[in-house]
Amino acid sequence: MKYHQLGVVHGDGSIIGIGPKDHLHVAGKSRVKVFDAGGTPQRSWEISRPASAIAVAEDGSVWVGQAAQVEIFDSAGKRKGTWRDVVHGDVTAIGFFQDSVLVADVKDRAIRHYDRDFKFRNVIGKDNLTKGFLVPNGSLDFSVDAAGTLHAANPGKHRVERYSLDGKLLGHVGRFDGQDPAGFTGCCNPTNLALGPHGWIYVTEKAGPRAKVLDRDGKLVAVIADGLFDPACKNMDIALDSRGRVYVADTEKLDVFVFEEAA
Amino acid sequence: MSKDVSRRKALGRMATAAGMGGAALYLVKKAQGQIVWQIDSAKCLNSRLGEVGVKACDLCLKECVVTRSAVRAVNHCSGCGRCNICPAYFNVTSAVNREGLPSEKLCPRDAIARKPIGAIDPGDPANNFYEYIIDETKCDGCGKCAMACKEPAGLGSIVLKVRHDLCVNCNKCAISTSCPKDAFFQGPIPRAVLEQQEQSPA
Repeated sequence: MKYHQLGVVHGDGSIIGIGPKDHLHVAGKSRVKVFDAGGTPQRSWEISRPASAIAVAEDGSVWVGQAAQVEIFDSAGKRKGTWRDVVHGDVTAIGFFQDSVLVADVKDRAIRHYDRDFKFRNVIGKDNLTKGFLVPNGSLDFSVDAAGTLHAANPGKHRVERYSLDGKLLGHVGRFDGQDPAGFTGCCNPTNLALGPHGWIYVTEKAGPRAKVLDRDGKLVAVIADGLFDPACKNMDIALDSRGRVYVADTEKLDVFVFEEAA
Repeated sequence: MSKDVSRRKALGRMATAAGMGGAALYLVKKAQGQIVWQIDSAKCLNSRLGEVGVKACDLCLKECVVTRSAVRAVNHCSGCGRCNICPAYFNVTSAVNREGLPSEKLCPRDAIARKPIGAIDPGDPANNFYEYIIDETKCDGCGKCAMACKEPAGLGSIVLKVRHDLCVNCNKCAISTSCPKDAFFQGPIPRAVLEQQEQSPA
């Protein structure tokens, strides 16, 4: 399988998420910008702190992860509230499943599970020898599939790990390999991930930045892009829309590259 | 008018005297070994951010008049990621061995030791932190590990440093004249080094 580049969205940010109607949300140091499925700017609004994560909930509300807090906006960008002191460090990923809200706490190297009333439920990823994910890259990313299984990038172990929402490790896929693109290279990859149809896992890597897609067993399906991003890129956010288009943020150029499966 | 001129002259003389005094003090300190050659890590090609995918610079090794150079690689452990697969320890592009690790080391002199922190999970050695210790008696300051540790591949915890007990403090340091990034400079001996010298037994 092959992918080709559809275009580039200049969003002036490198934190990305997809909302209703496949609207691309790009968050940067001080603003969120929203683009329609064709890449045309729709609206933008200010945020109080630099963004480190963004997620659009089922009701269209936009959750922006920042240092120690999450700012919540309605779909038009009106601030609904700020969830303070949710973690100690940066919130680097946010996810939803039914009545659950999950946030990645990179400083604690773990994922915190709350209900929709912000009541803490449990922590995910700390029940191991290293007492958390190995994230020397400074970012912890995850995604929850339709069945409620959480997939987290554990870059120091060169894996994608699967957890139940009550924190049980269900398994992992991925291995180190600095030659074969089927493996994850360097000290700590993959850094970011998104989930697609068929249980496919879309990942990005640093230090030789590239994007690729693996099947549910971790077998390489395709290298989406390699050699395209700025070599200094690190922790490149990745997202998928309903049409299977893949969005990858270049953290140096602050551009979002859009890819589509080649016919 | 004359008052202004005399004030200007007086200020000029004071500035000259201060300049001469400063220069004299500098020379005294240099003679006492308190002005030393150092490396600015933010300028050194092997550690400065932004230059990735380039070959490590080994001029500190090649140009130094001291045998095997007065420069050493130093790992600031507090900034180290303690990774299972460290790109400064392993040649991460070498073939994978049976343990799932790169089969080759990066350091040509095998100067870096890799030690697990705490108990190893026998079923999953990746489930651990590792510390990386540089043996300075083996290191020759070639810079390969510093370059490999640099962001975005690593965290940049390994940098090159001049070892003042090895450096002969030449007036015209050969490394400084050849350094392509002007990273070699003379300055007062860092306070941390002075404190270390005071604490260490004679």
